[in-house]
Amino acid sequence: MIAFEHVGKRYGGRFEALANIDFRVRRGEMVFLTGHSGAGKSSLLRLIMRLERPSRGRVLVAGHDIGRLHASQVPFYRRQIGVVFQDHQLLFDRTIYANVALPLEIQGVEPREAARRVRAALDKVGLLHREKALPIELSGGEQQRVGIARAVVNKPALLLADEPTGNLDPQLSADIMQLFEDFNRIGTTVMVASHDLALIARLRHRVLRLREGRLVADEEAA
Amino acid sequence: MSRQEVRETRRGARSQRTRTSSRLRGWGHHHRAMCLDSARRLIRYPVGSLLTMLAIAIALVLPAALWLTLDSARLLDAELNESATLTAYLASDVDEAQAVRVNEALQAHSAVAATRLITAAEGMAEFQQALGLTDALSRLDDNPLPASVVVTPRDASPEAVSVLAGELEAVTGVADVRLDLAWLERLRRLAELGQRLTLALGVLFGLGVLLIVGNTVRLAVESRRQEIEVVTLIGATHAFVRRPFLYSGAWYGLGGGLLAWGLLTVGGEWLATPVATLAESYGARYSLPRLDAMGSAVLLFSSTLLGLLGAWIAVGRHLAEIRPR
Repeated sequence: MIAFEHVGKRYGGRFEALANIDFRVRRGEMVFLTGHSGAGKSSLLRLIMRLERPSRGRVLVAGHDIGRLHASQVPFYRRQIGVVFQDHQLLFDRTIYANVALPLEIQGVEPREAARRVRAALDKVGLLHREKALPIELSGGEQQRVGIARAVVNKPALLLADEPTGNLDPQLSADIMQLFEDFNRIGTTVMVASHDLALIARLRHRVLRLREGRLVADEEAA
Repeated sequence: MSRQEVRETRRGARSQRTRTSSRLRGWGHHHRAMCLDSARRLIRYPVGSLLTMLAIAIALVLPAALWLTLDSARLLDAELNESATLTAYLASDVDEAQAVRVNEALQAHSAVAATRLITAAEGMAEFQQALGLTDALSRLDDNPLPASVVVTPRDASPEAVSVLAGELEAVTGVADVRLDLAWLERLRRLAELGQRLTLALGVLFGLGVLLIVGNTVRLAVESRRQEIEVVTLIGATHAFVRRPFLYSGAWYGLGGGLLAWGLLTVGGEWLATPVATLAESYGARYSLPRLDAMGSAVLLFSSTLLGLLGAWIAVGRHLAEIRPR
């Protein structure tokens, strides 16, 4: 599903964020990406989301070299991956329902079909009863679940999450991770960047460990 | 290809088609939604929106009013052209029977459309009527006026008319040919100048509308920066991001156009009476030109188009700047 081939990323010609990253993630796998802040986790995810292009090497997603995608193709590529952000990136002037419906609106899905899929996604994260609420009325954990519902509403084959439990207490974090495991169980490839080592250790999935822009460990699931 | 494969290909094609048509419906739905949403955003801040529209309206009123005035001047010009005639004064020793013959000779000229003979007696009667000097003139023993022929040329252009005048002068029995076209020429030059002035002002003020809308939309883009970043992250195309702003630009333009139309109408009403009185005092009948249905349509269409264009330029510039972090 994802293949990094000797990928390097430099910013401004000097700072080396990633160096010689080389790994593969199979379809349907669940992988944790870990390391201290500044180790390159976000840079790696940004490469997969095609917010950046690699300075060296190739990034392949579903067999396509995404560094070579034309700018006009990028939106259509991004629609195929679901992304959960640490700071949720919800729109605060819209209801929960409208937030989750946003990817479908972008893709031009008919309202009736969209409504069905939005409700299904909200139901999955346990927030169907809050669909008319505004994000500001929700707790941090609930907001994050809305972000997850938005990421999965168009059933992406690949789900990325950047520190999805960053600001949550351990119980809420475990709940969120449980959700990711559920999506993985129905075939979605999941990649979660997190520095919550205790939680990661308990979940027993493959772990990619970054340090100062290098891949220092690739531990298969126990 | 096996029958099974063919069936599957067909099914694939059909599902592709339904997907495309449902996409199209979804796309249409998004257009409607954005059209209404941008209107709602304008209404939510009525004072600010109205001020922007008023600025657009004021920028549109001046060139529109000039254009209207010029249009009516053109009508006047056409009327004058039709009335462009030459007067051929016959020699004083030409009697009435001879005058009729000269008239026929002039009528036969290839460049002449029509002639009208005014005999010396008729000329005297007209003169008396115009001046109201019946008494003074009746004391004259003799009619001092010559007979004359009013000639309407086929081609009313100044060059053709002056050529014709030279030719008519050569006809026996014609003493003098008068044409007074210099003022007509001057009027035409003036109208041409006015036309250019209107065009220049129109272009300038059109640019003004672009700037007004562009600036307003730039602020709207700025205030919705986070939203633009988020939708770009989850796969929105530039067209999708641009759409609501284009609609609000078009709304601003349309609103400005409507206000300009209102200003022109009210201003026309307000000026109508004094203009009519003034014209009457000159013995003329002239009423201020008004926007007809076609003119109104042109005004509204171009103002909407300018709004759309201004929004397009502003959003295009800012889309390049806004990149998701």
